Amino acid sequence: MPGFGAVPLRFLLWRSRRLFFLAALAFQLGGGAHRSGAEDLYTESRTPFLHNIPLHDTQGRVITPPDFLSEDGKPQEPKASPYSPAQTCGKCHDYGAISQGWHFNEDMGAVKPGRPGEPWILTDPATHTQIPLSYRGWPGTFKPSNIGLTDYEFLTNFARHFPGGGVGEPDKINAGDREMGRMLITGKMEIDCLACHQSTGRYNHEARFNALKAEEFLWAPAIAAGLGAFSSSRTAASIADSWRPGRPPPSTLPAIRYNRACFDTENNVLFQVSRRPPAANCYYCHTSQTELGDARWHSDLDVHLKAGLLCVDCHRNGLDHAIVRGYEGEAQDRSISDTMIALRTALLRRDNAALSDDDARNLARRQLQSEAGTIETLTCRGCHTSGRLGSPQMVHKGLPPIHLEKLSCAACHSGPFPASQPQIVHTSLAHKLGLPAHTRGETAAPVILEPVFLRGAAGKIAPFKVVWPSYWARLKGTNLTPMLPVEAAKTVTLPQPSSDDAARDPYDAKPLTDRQIQQALESIPADSARGVPVFIAAGKIYRMDKGILNSWEDSAAKPYAWALGHDVRPAAQALGARGCTDCHSADSPMYFATVAAKGPVEANDTLRKQMWEMRGDDKTVASFFAFTFHFRPLLKCVVFAAALVVMGVLLHYGLRGIGAISARLGGSAKEQP
Amino acid sequence: MNRPFGKLSYAVLCATGAILAATGIGTFALGKAPMTHWVLMAHVAVAPLFALGLAAVALTWADLCRGGAPSPLNIPARLLLWVILLCGLVVILSGVVPMTPLFGAKGQHFLYLTHRYAAIVLTAAVLLHLPALARRN
Repeated sequence: MPGFGAVPLRFLLWRSRRLFFLAALAFQLGGGAHRSGAEDLYTESRTPFLHNIPLHDTQGRVITPPDFLSEDGKPQEPKASPYSPAQTCGKCHDYGAISQGWHFNEDMGAVKPGRPGEPWILTDPATHTQIPLSYRGWPGTFKPSNIGLTDYEFLTNFARHFPGGGVGEPDKINAGDREMGRMLITGKMEIDCLACHQSTGRYNHEARFNALKAEEFLWAPAIAAGLGAFSSSRTAASIADSWRPGRPPPSTLPAIRYNRACFDTENNVLFQVSRRPPAANCYYCHTSQTELGDARWHSDLDVHLKAGLLCVDCHRNGLDHAIVRGYEGEAQDRSISDTMIALRTALLRRDNAALSDDDARNLARRQLQSEAGTIETLTCRGCHTSGRLGSPQMVHKGLPPIHLEKLSCAACHSGPFPASQPQIVHTSLAHKLGLPAHTRGETAAPVILEPVFLRGAAGKIAPFKVVWPSYWARLKGTNLTPMLPVEAAKTVTLPQPSSDDAARDPYDAKPLTDRQIQQALESIPADSARGVPVFIAAGKIYRMDKGILNSWEDSAAKPYAWALGHDVRPAAQALGARGCTDCHSADSPMYFATVAAKGPVEANDTLRKQMWEMRGDDKTVASFFAFTFHFRPLLKCVVFAAALVVMGVLLHYGLRGIGAISARLGGSAKEQP
Repeated sequence: MNRPFGKLSYAVLCATGAILAATGIGTFALGKAPMTHWVLMAHVAVAPLFALGLAAVALTWADLCRGGAPSPLNIPARLLLWVILLCGLVVILSGVVPMTPLFGAKGQHFLYLTHRYAAIVLTAAVLLHLPALARRN
């Protein structure tokens, strides 16, 4: 274990062994794998606890920057080990339980994948690569390991928006592994609690990005929080580059040069954090921007935010950080893990020592199952039916109920108002939003479109974001093996952009012509064992057959789609607010908008489909049904007129009947003496 | 009663009612409610003709069926006609009112159920009315 600054390695080893022994003892006494030494020091008040607390390093030691002057009166730099969120926050909050949460559990096999969400897209404009990735195994994505991408490579590509934990924090570091072994130097990528919970807006994502780009995983939390700076001119990546697997890591590693002003006289640091993070924190990773560039000012944002809600009012979670994703049917997709049960068991036994462990476990499981059921009340329908958070009840005047069975709420209420073509959308994860960059234009890879109306859960029509995969690959039988950008750059002869183009827009690359695709495919060495070279792009497979470039639509090239939920538009701006013809007309976007497959190929023979075709609907039915709406006013007039006639007849004879009864009764009365 | 017009009205009512029952009640009976696609379009296309037929029947048959009027129709046939007119009115109104922005989701659902069950009663009434017509006074 390397030391930091002047801390001797031997002392650390002795200390870490001792800590390990104590931790193992605590593990046994604590009764669960999730217990990570958290002391459960909750205030249980709605007044936030003032987090004026000491920092701890990865070994759990309190961080004390040296005094300004040494004992012999010489100035000292405030260098010390980087702070560890796991140790600092984990003193009171069960880090083990938190690390099971949705944002961190992507590589835990037992977790149900749930509704397909936004993938990580491995994008390399130079090789025209855009491959949707997910550890969760969502259909249409690749697991990184399946395309030869190691966890470490995944981190170096996506750490910029990766919250830490999960694959960033492996249980063991294999010192013999050329890549994961680097973590002996770079440190693990712990969950950076402040990335979400810092409430001051002073968390520096750009500084974190730069630190992570330099593989300073261990140092990044302190740097991003503004507590200090990396103290060496050599980056962690450069130190790791000079290390060889099997050799011991350097005995000392760069320290953090702390900002003394952050520490009070008792060596505490004030963290201004919130359980309910502001939306701006969520937006770092969850921004979707359709108004590109300066057009952003047109965006009204989500109506819920405008009403004063926060993201976490609906997407909420307990200590286990099993955040509510908010789609209908989510309760069935939620896993109640042993860790969640163990955590709840511990809390139940803390509050009632008389409970046996078995009883507490059973009670914990029942409670968690019951809570999973209640998350349905946090969906659009659930909230607007139950009236939670003061939500207005669904009214839908004039909307036949069948629409609520055939459409998701988002179909009419979410995303940009649909037009004759879906719009290009930039997202944080795909386009590195939140980080300074050259202008991201309409051709910036990966090109993602929204809203595309497809069928989601239970066959309901819902709006989706879609991206078409694009990569060089080898096809053997029906098996496609994508090439990673590194391999493609070495193997495939691709047109080089001029240095001016690259400087002007490194995110962009000119689309490939058929001739260029042909040349590129021909440049890939033949290898019958690995398969025929092919190019996947814009919904098609391109392949050379006897010297001729063939292309065809193929399911392997079909777009990956994930449901969009935001921004929610108010009722007055929902689809249908202007009348039935918002959807039931010959040019309605929901049926007849044209979706042109997007990818790094020239648009001459672009695959184009209308929405009905994307869903596999019947065009004749859709067109004819839309045509019938021309006659709706006439139908209403005829039926109302007929109803008036029938009503008049019934009223006329009804009144006559009443008159006759009255006359008869009156006559009878006269006849009586 | 203008007999040819009255008979034509009744024939239109029965013919269109049969199509509406087949599409509407048939779909419900097969467990495939609500109607969609071509079935729904056929249902909606025939509905105005049914409404016109119902109005015409009301105009041409009501006087025959009023109480105390000299009529060749027997009592059950007279009574059933009023049931047909009343249910028909409910059916056509509950069919067309949802096309107006008067009712929200709950009201719409209530109208939908009203339409369904009034239509079932109406169909039964027409089916009973036909043999009752055959047994004249």
